[in-house]
Amino acid sequence: MSEKKNVVCVGIDLGTSRSAVSASNGQRHIVDSYVGWPVDMVARKILKKNVLIGREALDSRPMLDLHRPLERGLLKEGSEKDQQAVRQLLIHLLELAGLGEKERENTQVRAVVGVPAEAMRVNKQQLRTAFAGLVDALLIVSEPFAVAYGIEALLHAMVIDIGAGTTDLCVMNGRYPTEEDQRTLLNAGDWVDEQLTRLIAARYPEASISPYMVREWKERYSFVGEPHGNVLVTAPVNGKPTQLDITEPMRIACEGLVPPIAETMLDLIARVEPEFQEKVRHSIVLAGGSSAIRGLDVALAAALQEIGGGVVRSVEDPMFAGSDGGLAIATDAPDGDWEKLVG
Amino acid sequence: MRAMGQIDRTKRRILRQAVQENLMTLRGLPPPRLVRARPRWRRWALAVSPLLVPAALLALALMWASTGGDSAAPPPGEMPGLPTKARLASPLPSESVATTAPRSPLASLASSDPNLRLPHPAPLDPSILALGVRRIVLDPGHGGEDHGTTGPLGLVEKELTLDVALRTAELLAAEGFEVLLTRDSDISLPLDRRASLANSMRGDVLVSIHVNWIPNRRARGVETYWLGPTDDPFIKDLAAAENRSSGYSLADFRRLVEGIYADVRKDESRRLAEAVQKELYRSLARLNPSLHDRGVKTAPFVVLVSTEMPAILAEVGCLSNEDEARLLATPKYRRRIAEALTAGIVAFAQQRATTARSEGSS
Repeated sequence: MSEKKNVVCVGIDLGTSRSAVSASNGQRHIVDSYVGWPVDMVARKILKKNVLIGREALDSRPMLDLHRPLERGLLKEGSEKDQQAVRQLLIHLLELAGLGEKERENTQVRAVVGVPAEAMRVNKQQLRTAFAGLVDALLIVSEPFAVAYGIEALLHAMVIDIGAGTTDLCVMNGRYPTEEDQRTLLNAGDWVDEQLTRLIAARYPEASISPYMVREWKERYSFVGEPHGNVLVTAPVNGKPTQLDITEPMRIACEGLVPPIAETMLDLIARVEPEFQEKVRHSIVLAGGSSAIRGLDVALAAALQEIGGGVVRSVEDPMFAGSDGGLAIATDAPDGDWEKLVG
Repeated sequence: MRAMGQIDRTKRRILRQAVQENLMTLRGLPPPRLVRARPRWRRWALAVSPLLVPAALLALALMWASTGGDSAAPPPGEMPGLPTKARLASPLPSESVATTAPRSPLASLASSDPNLRLPHPAPLDPSILALGVRRIVLDPGHGGEDHGTTGPLGLVEKELTLDVALRTAELLAAEGFEVLLTRDSDISLPLDRRASLANSMRGDVLVSIHVNWIPNRRARGVETYWLGPTDDPFIKDLAAAENRSSGYSLADFRRLVEGIYADVRKDESRRLAEAVQKELYRSLARLNPSLHDRGVKTAPFVVLVSTEMPAILAEVGCLSNEDEARLLATPKYRRRIAEALTAGIVAFAQQRATTARSEGSS
């Protein structure tokens, strides 16, 4: 497939909010999925860069034409700038993994990328286009499958991958999951952010809050069930920094995730062959950045009580579960298969 | 050790399946599915159709002869389609037809006599020819830079139509039909090019797949169009939106429309539209209880105007309604749409085959 003798495998979790890369050379990195270009000459002079990516872009956002090029875990469409942003994000992830342009000249890069379970064929084609020329061979798999592969939950198990754009559920029956084995919900981290913003605005109409502030509060304080204490944050009210108690809005917004996920989880279990349903109920794994909501595993386990109970646990490293799984797939796939996936 | 070995075997099998799915995407094929057995009627129809076609042609020729070949012909001098001067020259005396030995239409066509007038046939019901529906052309609406409509959840019409078309193609192929698509990837394709592609593919029917957007966000439902005029302002707007990238001039369009409104294809198109609409509503209402049957309608969509086969345009869902958009986002619902389209096309084909059988036996 290639004259390049050195082979590096990478697993990439291209997320709506954050993207992760795990490489066979030991590199593991996570990046906020934001790309920004300086808005003018002055901004470029101050920032001293033509393009900023990740946290750096977020921190300098007033001076940038900022793009979040993924939506629902997929490439946004319609804007050439978003297409360029995805490409920049991929280049950045590869560079972080030690696979800059120069390194790629002598290294065969085999990449596995996770996409939402219900991504359409056309979305996968767009992703291939975005990767063209950056990697030597590309395998696209469903995100929850990548997680399942990484933790070897391949038989009678369910993975619930809660990201920012989508929540993907997948039952593993010892085969590559079909459409019948998977579901994608749009109730995920971003949805919680929207609810939280709305609820805070209703409670504190004078407060000035941004989506970035809400996201940070959620990541720090999110919970389901009983609070461990009041959630107090600071935001400007009429220009004056003011402490706001957002305990109740936080609880309501986060608990809104439980019914759709629980309902879909129960529906998928009901479709498993009867003799294996109990095994699946006792092997449910949460992954993805938004699975870190405290008490979510307990709430989902409680939902399982109505069908006989079960066990819901979180993966050890939810942020890297997808990219680590992708790397495991990339490493295990035989050379012969990679040769078929060139381009 | 045994458990490790089993995990390794499972992993190898799963990896093979993952690679296979990717290769199918690269080749422009939908993911593998179970292939359903071909229905008995379809096997029968395919088996006997080579016999039915000549038999029906013979029957047609005899019918033609028994009616003198011009039972529905206009009076002499009123031959449509000929310039007035030609119509008035050398009218064919009716007695000359009566005294002439029965001639088949093919024999008439073979004549080199420049003065010979071809008898004007009665309006022809294509079902009498027992011509089976074998080749289906599917047209996934929009594509490339033309996104079509966009839903509140960020769903894009061009992606949905392609997804549904690929699923439908697979199901129809499993039923024994030959299926061709005007596009199988995300490319821009002007409407005139779609029509010429469909014509060059020589399809027996064309089904153009679209997703609706209705200003009243609470409205939802399915509707199917065949070619015809309309006074409905909503349909006019819809047709104008869909025809925007037609590539035809006004003169082209007028010529096409004038030639087609009187065409025999309109009856076939209407039947196909009725069959598809019935199945769409019946099937989707089970998953979407609030679905509204918006019915079978006529509209001058360019893709229907310029195709040379029975053609319909199905609006298989409504992206302006958030609940329906959520359903459209699920593969289960899109698969159900594909199954409904397939069932409608099969029902139409079956109707044609049944008509052919009854014509053949009478």
